[in-house]
Amino acid sequence: MSLGRPSQAVFLQPPAATSAPFANRPSPVTSVTVHPIALFSILDHYLRRDEKQDRVIGTLLGSRQDGEVEVKSAFAVLHAETTERVAVDMDYHRTMLELHQRINPREVIVGWYSTGANLNTYSALIQGFYQHETAPHPAIHLSLDTDATDGQLGVKTYLSAPVGVTPKLENCVFTPVPCTLRYTNVEKGGLDLLTNAASSSTHLAHPEREMEELEKAITDVVGMLDRVLTYVQAVLKGERKGDPAIGRYLLDTLSAEGPALGRKGAEALMGSQLQDTIMVSYLASLVRSQVEVSSRLALVT
Amino acid sequence: MAAALAASQAAAAPAPAAPVQPPAEVIPASWAKLVDSEAEIPLRVVQLDGLAVMKIMKHSRDAYPSAVNGILLGLDLDGVMEVSNCFPLPQGREGEEESTARPSASKYQASMLRSLKEVHGDDNVVGFYQSTAMGAFLSQSFLDLQASHQKSLRHGGIALVHDVSRTARGNTSLKAFRLTQAFLQAHKAKKFNVQGLIERGLTFSNILEELPLQIHNTPLLDAFLLTLSQPTVSPTPTTLFPTASLSDLPPTNQPLTPTFPILNTASTPALTHNLSLVLDTLDDYNQESSNYAYHQRQIAREKTRADAYTAKRKEENAQRVRDGLPPLPEEDVSRLFKIPPEPSRFESMLLLGQLDGYAKTLEDVTGASMVKMYAAKAGATAA
Repeated sequence: MSLGRPSQAVFLQPPAATSAPFANRPSPVTSVTVHPIALFSILDHYLRRDEKQDRVIGTLLGSRQDGEVEVKSAFAVLHAETTERVAVDMDYHRTMLELHQRINPREVIVGWYSTGANLNTYSALIQGFYQHETAPHPAIHLSLDTDATDGQLGVKTYLSAPVGVTPKLENCVFTPVPCTLRYTNVEKGGLDLLTNAASSSTHLAHPEREMEELEKAITDVVGMLDRVLTYVQAVLKGERKGDPAIGRYLLDTLSAEGPALGRKGAEALMGSQLQDTIMVSYLASLVRSQVEVSSRLALVT
Repeated sequence: MAAALAASQAAAAPAPAAPVQPPAEVIPASWAKLVDSEAEIPLRVVQLDGLAVMKIMKHSRDAYPSAVNGILLGLDLDGVMEVSNCFPLPQGREGEEESTARPSASKYQASMLRSLKEVHGDDNVVGFYQSTAMGAFLSQSFLDLQASHQKSLRHGGIALVHDVSRTARGNTSLKAFRLTQAFLQAHKAKKFNVQGLIERGLTFSNILEELPLQIHNTPLLDAFLLTLSQPTVSPTPTTLFPTASLSDLPPTNQPLTPTFPILNTASTPALTHNLSLVLDTLDDYNQESSNYAYHQRQIAREKTRADAYTAKRKEENAQRVRDGLPPLPEEDVSRLFKIPPEPSRFESMLLLGQLDGYAKTLEDVTGASMVKMYAAKAGATAA
């Protein structure tokens, strides 16, 4: 699941370090995955920026595994940019890092973020600083386009490589790295809730009870099935030209989901699980009423 | 507080009828704060920001199955408690003493608040959050923490409970609570014996009162989420030949695809775990009540001994009076016999509360899974 518009960029990869002198060098970064919470923190930081500030920067925390960098959280770092100089509050960065690592010692610095789409000399300088922090691993740079220059809030990640005859800190190329969004089951539940809030007219959402959620999920699925069904029937009648891609997707979905739950399967499921479930349900209400009685009895001497 | 609300509502009702002469002395609740910054506006609803929701979820999940807590930051404005940010607190490691863990946590909190202030984050503590599994969150430390908050924070602060196990099943479970007055008084007086409980009619179900909760995003986050859930068409060539496999197809580009974890019919592992937790708590409760019974017997025994002693002394005195001797002084019985204090019912009340939490989760899960099974059966037979 990639973020933002697919780009035509060729993702350049440095050659795999197999030769002897480079054997202990870390494997090159081939992809970046971002958890939604990191992006949300960036957006929050951008909203709380100074009035005159054009962009904000901060540190990305996460983990590395075989060339894949996983960005798990982010925190804001103070910085000041003028036409002639850029300053990053190093003490602040250190303090925050220490505070974060006391909670989650497994998360290390993987790079930095900035808002806005442009990369300039200062980006290179800041990149140089983070490169120093993450050594020997390369630092990644994530840019979140809050100005929505290409019509959406695009997320892009870069690696840097020195360029020029004499290596200087402000001379470097940013090469793009593919970036995807990743979330866990728990986070997905939260994201669904937030999306509900985003798409509702009042911009509010309420956590619902299990039955209501279930009802909503079933209606959603039925709605999707209906849409596919109308499409398929239209194609069969010859009203619309069938798209082979959609056909492939449908075939794949139907066959990938394993054997459908047939009449027999349903009966087996009912036989094995239903009795247990009903029993547990009775037990649960029994426990609850006992607990209620017991707590009332405690009030009677 | 309820009286104030009722008063303001009563004042608002006749206003449209006689708009010419509004009662000058009645100030609407929403203005009261402008006039008097210390005015008491009752808390109506808790509003959580998206960032806080995600942070709580991440922290709870990273630490699962151990329970964690953290501090909520925000502002209460006009009866709405807006929680805009939060941060986790370090959990005391195994073997670390309570006395050393607490100061380090408060030091952590202070330095985190200072840091957040520097980047213009909210630094106003409004409560704390607690993660739980299977719905049993009532515990001594939870209540103590909230009681201390309720004393020190404006409007008493709130406690947010997040149930990780339910969220993983696709049903986000976040609840906001605060302590009831009855419990606060009992906690202040440290009276959790039978008499104290009866006086206030305190059971596990009225320790906490729930506040309604709503989720709200910043406009920027709203925009970002909507772009994420919108499928974008990839600009790859549209002339498609029938392809051999799906991997040749252009990728659909929708970062937030619906997955419907709630439609999963297999709920057995969760049930087994939950049932064993119920059994453990029942054992604890049993032990607690036998402890209580033991204490009661101890008290009764001491009392009979004390009574026997006083009776004997009285008899002796009567004898001495008859013999013409001066009576022996009536000694303080309570000093001779140590009648143990009545044991606290607090622990057993909390255990009952936990049991109720577990059983409630069980009920919810089984109810939903029965519906799912019948739905699956109906679907299969109709096909």
